[in-house]
Amino acid sequence: MGTDRWQDEWLQGPGQPEKVVPTVERAQLDLRQLRWLRIAAVAEATTLILLIGVAVPLKHLGEWPAGVRVLGPTHGFAFVAYLWLVLQSFGAGLVSRGEAGRLVLAAFVPMAGFLAAHFLTSRAAAPLDRRLSR
Amino acid sequence: MTPADAYPWLKALHVACALLFVGGLVASSLILVAGRGAADRTAALTLILRRWDRAVTVPAMLGVWAFGIGLAVSGGWFSYSWLQAKLVLVVLLSAIHGLQSGQIRRLATGHDIKPLRVSALVVPTVIAIAILAVIKS
Repeated sequence: MGTDRWQDEWLQGPGQPEKVVPTVERAQLDLRQLRWLRIAAVAEATTLILLIGVAVPLKHLGEWPAGVRVLGPTHGFAFVAYLWLVLQSFGAGLVSRGEAGRLVLAAFVPMAGFLAAHFLTSRAAAPLDRRLSR
Repeated sequence: MTPADAYPWLKALHVACALLFVGGLVASSLILVAGRGAADRTAALTLILRRWDRAVTVPAMLGVWAFGIGLAVSGGWFSYSWLQAKLVLVVLLSAIHGLQSGQIRRLATGHDIKPLRVSALVVPTVIAIAILAVIKS
């Protein structure tokens, strides 16, 4: 039946059922995860800088609260997405407990998110066996 | 559409996303407990859960945040202590889901996982969030 076929494909993928992810495919998944984490770090750092460097001064000195009203929730969303990705990477064994702690701390310090992104770039460029040994 | 017109829609979508998110969170907790030390026995179930997580639970979590922020902005509630407490609890649930999602990924690639004790906080946190959202005090 069509529904059964749809269910099988959704659950197992088209064709053969999935087996354990091969090493090369896993390495590609790791790179994709690190890329997303880097994008989230840059987004979080950028929204934090814009919030405290532009929107907050404009609210208090220029009496223009609209910036904070827009950037506050935007930064909140970026922060949660970044935190979620850091913890997912930690749960998956891509970063150690100490590295995850430092990445989370970086979210609270202006500009530190860009350093975190730099660290993640070097991590992604690390040899495959070093990444997989974690 | 005025903010007043949008309110019931935002609320309905927020609740729908919250239900799907918590459902996925509880399912992940159960599979991770079952899969610990027996990755081969639960391999098929882990792959199904991983697909479910990516297709439903993660978008539901993003929906919870997006619609929840929309509701809070439209109601001007960010200064209320009940919402601030609720935000902390929702960040906690999102953090637990992040850890679980990573562990599911690890389990699906044939690796063993460590016990995630923080998953025990899911049920009391959900109850506290429901009370804060309904009582609003």
